Amino acid sequence: MTAPATNSMSDEELMNQVRGGVAELLGVLFERYHVPLFNFYYKLTGERTLSEDLVQEVFFRILKYRHSYKPDTAFRAWMYQIARNARVDHFRKKRPETSWEPEMSPAFTPDDPAQQKQESALLREALLELSNDKREVLVLSRFQDLKYEDIARMMGCEVNTVKVRVHRALQDLREIFRGLESGKLVRKEGQKRAGMRSGPGSLQ
Amino acid sequence: MTFENPNFEKTACEQIAEVLPDYLQGSLDDGKMKQVEAHLAACAQCGDEAALWAKLGELPEVQPSPMLRMRFESMLEMYQEGRWEKTNLTAQRNRFQDLSNLVDWVRRPTMNAAWAAVLVLAAFLGGKYMDRSNANSAQLEKIEAELKKTQQLAVLSLLQQQSASERLQAVSYSRNWNAPQSDPDPQILSALLHTLQVDQSVDVRLAALDALAHYGRRPDVRKGLIDALDGQQSPLVQVALIDAIVDMHDAGAIEQLNKIKQDPKADPSVRKRADWGVAQLS
Repeated sequence: MTAPATNSMSDEELMNQVRGGVAELLGVLFERYHVPLFNFYYKLTGERTLSEDLVQEVFFRILKYRHSYKPDTAFRAWMYQIARNARVDHFRKKRPETSWEPEMSPAFTPDDPAQQKQESALLREALLELSNDKREVLVLSRFQDLKYEDIARMMGCEVNTVKVRVHRALQDLREIFRGLESGKLVRKEGQKRAGMRSGPGSLQ
Repeated sequence: MTFENPNFEKTACEQIAEVLPDYLQGSLDDGKMKQVEAHLAACAQCGDEAALWAKLGELPEVQPSPMLRMRFESMLEMYQEGRWEKTNLTAQRNRFQDLSNLVDWVRRPTMNAAWAAVLVLAAFLGGKYMDRSNANSAQLEKIEAELKKTQQLAVLSLLQQQSASERLQAVSYSRNWNAPQSDPDPQILSALLHTLQVDQSVDVRLAALDALAHYGRRPDVRKGLIDALDGQQSPLVQVALIDAIVDMHDAGAIEQLNKIKQDPKADPSVRKRADWGVAQLS
């Protein structure tokens, strides 16, 4: 199949083909999703190498368990389900003695503009301080472009549970972020609030 | 009741809490949307939460290392060859880990970029020194020898890569350095011939053939191409090989072409081409 033809295929059409044995079309899905998946894991763990390992694991599992994909059902939700399981299994296998809370690693790209780095580094740090279930639901709903309904199905819970968790996650994140900010930045209260509301332009 | 009334603030925040997640994902109707916005403007705490949501969306996307793609391509190749059991993948992960450490050490550039830089530098230095006929000839020879070694190392190393695109790159590098009129590096020639015979990717084999076809005047290359006819699986490569050999006017190929012509297992288009080739060379 030619490149333009595969590029215009939906995720589901591609996965139907992969399921049917056309393994090379997994390459198109890889192009579409390896960066979002990497960022998903990176936000959850703060570790680059581990995140790459887990992305690789996801594509391995997609190929291995391709027959468990029900043709024409939402591919992304299925993929993130696999992604969640891969992480759960990783932490179950590798670190039975520790909780899921990630170790902080030198994760932040050094080439960000200084201001932005401070902001985004603090925010990433705050994300990593959230409890695991809150962090996951926030990352899934905010970054991976998944609807609450998808997430609820994935987690096997009510949609309302997901919404409540998102809200609580934001409440916690706000507290953690403020704590980090006041710990690291000496600012007056008013300035801090102004900073919170400002867009990205003012950060650069 | 208004959201701004402090007596009702808790209730108001609770009410908002119920719809805030929908507001954030933009799935509320206009009326409710405005209600929430009014509350967010008046209530610092809820406003902060919405602002945080917006700020999260501005977090820059982080790029994975090029190793991720290489590992994926390698896995897919292994799968297609039917040798992709988990143990292999673990070994492969470790192998790439070593490579990844190396690349991390060189910092950001990918394998490709790093090698490309080496090559550009080599070509540049090469050109520079070759032009200076008055340069100290002993020095020049030394530099030339070093250059050759570097080039050779780069091509041979890239030809070993798991990913077909890296190997393609290697073949094209080999062509850049070995100008047809100059004497090609024998080690690179033999690596290219080996690639033509055993590389799993049709594209890489075709590229190797293309590179080798420039040296058709060399009997060893011609013999290599004729030998490569035996055992080729892809009709595409077979036909291209026959064309290249006919272009070289080597009558020594007739025997091999006749074999293909009569081989009932060969692809009909290949047999037809072999028939044509025999007619051309006879």
